[in-house]
Amino acid sequence: MNAIILSALCGVVMMFSGILLKNKSAIKYVAIAALLVLIIGNLFQFYGIYTIDIDSKGLLSFDRTGLFFNTIIFVATLAYFILSGSDIERAGPDVAEYFALIFFVLCGVTILTSFNGLLMFFIGIEILSIPLYILTGSDKKNLKSNEASLKYFLMGSFSTGILLMGITLIYGATGSFGLQSTTIKSAVTGFSSAGILAPVGLVLLFISMCFKVSAAPFHFWAPDVYDGAPSVFTSFMATIVKAAGFFAFIKLFAAKSEDFGPGPAWKLILFVIIVATLFIGNITAVFQQSVKRMLAYSSIAQAGFMLFALYSTNDFTKDGILLYTAAYSFATIGIFSILTKMEDYSLDGFNGLSKSQPVLAFTNTVFFLSLSGIPLTAGFFAKYYMLASAIKGGGSLSLVIIAVLFAAVSVYYYFKVIQAMYFKEGVAATNTPITGNFKVALIVLAAIIVILGIYPTALLGFYYF
Amino acid sequence: MPIQYYIYLALSLFSIGVVGVLTRRNAIIIFMCIELMLNATNLLLVAFSKMHHAVALASNTATQVGIEGQLFVFFIMVVAAAEVSVGLAIIVMMYRNTHSVDINFLNRLKN
Amino acid sequence: MTWLTLLLDVQDTSAASYLPIAIQLIFAAGFVAAMIGMSALVGPKRQTKDKLETFTSGITTHGDARQPMAIKYFLVAILFVLFDVEVIFFYPYAVNFRSLGWAGFVEVLMFVGFFLIGFTYIIKKGALTWED
Repeated sequence: MNAIILSALCGVVMMFSGILLKNKSAIKYVAIAALLVLIIGNLFQFYGIYTIDIDSKGLLSFDRTGLFFNTIIFVATLAYFILSGSDIERAGPDVAEYFALIFFVLCGVTILTSFNGLLMFFIGIEILSIPLYILTGSDKKNLKSNEASLKYFLMGSFSTGILLMGITLIYGATGSFGLQSTTIKSAVTGFSSAGILAPVGLVLLFISMCFKVSAAPFHFWAPDVYDGAPSVFTSFMATIVKAAGFFAFIKLFAAKSEDFGPGPAWKLILFVIIVATLFIGNITAVFQQSVKRMLAYSSIAQAGFMLFALYSTNDFTKDGILLYTAAYSFATIGIFSILTKMEDYSLDGFNGLSKSQPVLAFTNTVFFLSLSGIPLTAGFFAKYYMLASAIKGGGSLSLVIIAVLFAAVSVYYYFKVIQAMYFKEGVAATNTPITGNFKVALIVLAAIIVILGIYPTALLGFYYF
Repeated sequence: MPIQYYIYLALSLFSIGVVGVLTRRNAIIIFMCIELMLNATNLLLVAFSKMHHAVALASNTATQVGIEGQLFVFFIMVVAAAEVSVGLAIIVMMYRNTHSVDINFLNRLKN
Repeated sequence: MTWLTLLLDVQDTSAASYLPIAIQLIFAAGFVAAMIGMSALVGPKRQTKDKLETFTSGITTHGDARQPMAIKYFLVAILFVLFDVEVIFFYPYAVNFRSLGWAGFVEVLMFVGFFLIGFTYIIKKGALTWED
């Protein structure tokens, strides 16, 4: 409850800081301070010391997993603010509003980690999405940004419509918006095919969530939107928002999994979706010339890995999704913070970066290694936990083998960037001078990724103790 | 009235909305079709709410079963209003740059 | 939540139960007709050329009405939609404010407070000033 209320209040504070503060560079520090308050408030609740306790009449329920996920998300946002704060300042004239919208997105995230029914689930999804439509279109004069924003908005509200129809049909069948109540009521009398309401509702819910997390048959909006949005906000959308979407997806369907009836059919659907997501994400990423667009496709590929958590729900899954969120978010935020500093987003733009900016090139290499899942980086254990949960859960070895193969493909296109930075001649130009603080922040982030790669229990230790 | 009439009506409206979104080229009309989808769900929610209430009423005259369906409608309406304001602002922003609301303009990002 | 139960409990759907609504409709229509008729009959009549022209808040008319409108109108319209629809949450409170008591009143005050914060923000940002 702390995090929900504080994040909304922080958003309001940021809104007014734009009016009250004349000095634009101060806004960034206000945002970082507000975020620190948010992190501390959330940790207080995590350790159960003091909480703003409001009776939500069973609409919300807080558990350690959700609160810990909040913490990871907030820390990732902190890294994002520190690394990309100056880029947010350059994104447009309304700096304070961008920060405010980001805080409202965080409010949506906190609701999505603690919902205890379909009503709060729906509200969380919407609070998460609506500020993002605005952030996507924040570059008002740029046609690509406009286009991305409109596309995102139309696709997002379309999938919201599908989501609502799913919720309604489930309500019609069960008479409740609760997560657990799955008894089909006999109220739908006189309707010959009453039994079909709940399954159809679940399928619609599933489809709309696949839309939101850009899983394979419903992924087509994602590359365009991620490419068209201003790079700083793509970084936020592709990491924090996507991870939160997955968390909600998994939380919802772990609770509803008994409704799926006999398992094999759902397992088969998920199998197809995971393979298709991995295939489309990885294979298309190989052919991209722009690093930004390549990262957009790679985020679809990473979504395929996160879907493993849905395929089998056991103890490994919980650890896996927490670790995956941390590893993927930190690495991608780091990469994007470097990318937004580059003059040229194409692969050739990175040529010879190791000569001109050795620190940037080195940390970027660590981030890319982590994304591809090389041992000694956080990405390795994240992928390992995901695959282990699939083996432990259902013994679907073929799926794991396919995933490992696609991880190998991903190494190829990630290494193209590393190759450009280290083994190609050129002058990689940056559009702003690189400050010492930025380099220090990058090194700290890279160190965290390596530490998580050696001791993944360091993160999970916080969770269990 | 039997519940299936409401289900058929709401599903027809919903399908009209879906088909409209998939086939029309004008951003405003697509947007109206999305609103149609949302309102179809509102209608169905209220119908289901009433249905669950009527069933529970038979055994208990002081029951409040079924009110949460109508409360959900409130939230859908408010969220839809927020979406309308953001969506129209985005469409106006695009109109200022392209002088068109045709989504065939949306092809700059394809390659 | 008694009020919703009331809404749900309407069992009597015969035509007679709609009589108050019919009376209300007749009264509304009659009131409008009476007011317009009265002002036409009683009001002073001075036919001049100026009065027959299109009324545009005292400004001389020029050009066609089907022109792109200033974006300010759009902004006000959007803000109106937002604030108008949020009022929907007052309906539940209005119907059972007695049973909610002071606690409910404080909650509604908080809701209105957030409204006012948004409104202050709009004014400070100059979204409602029409002059550029």
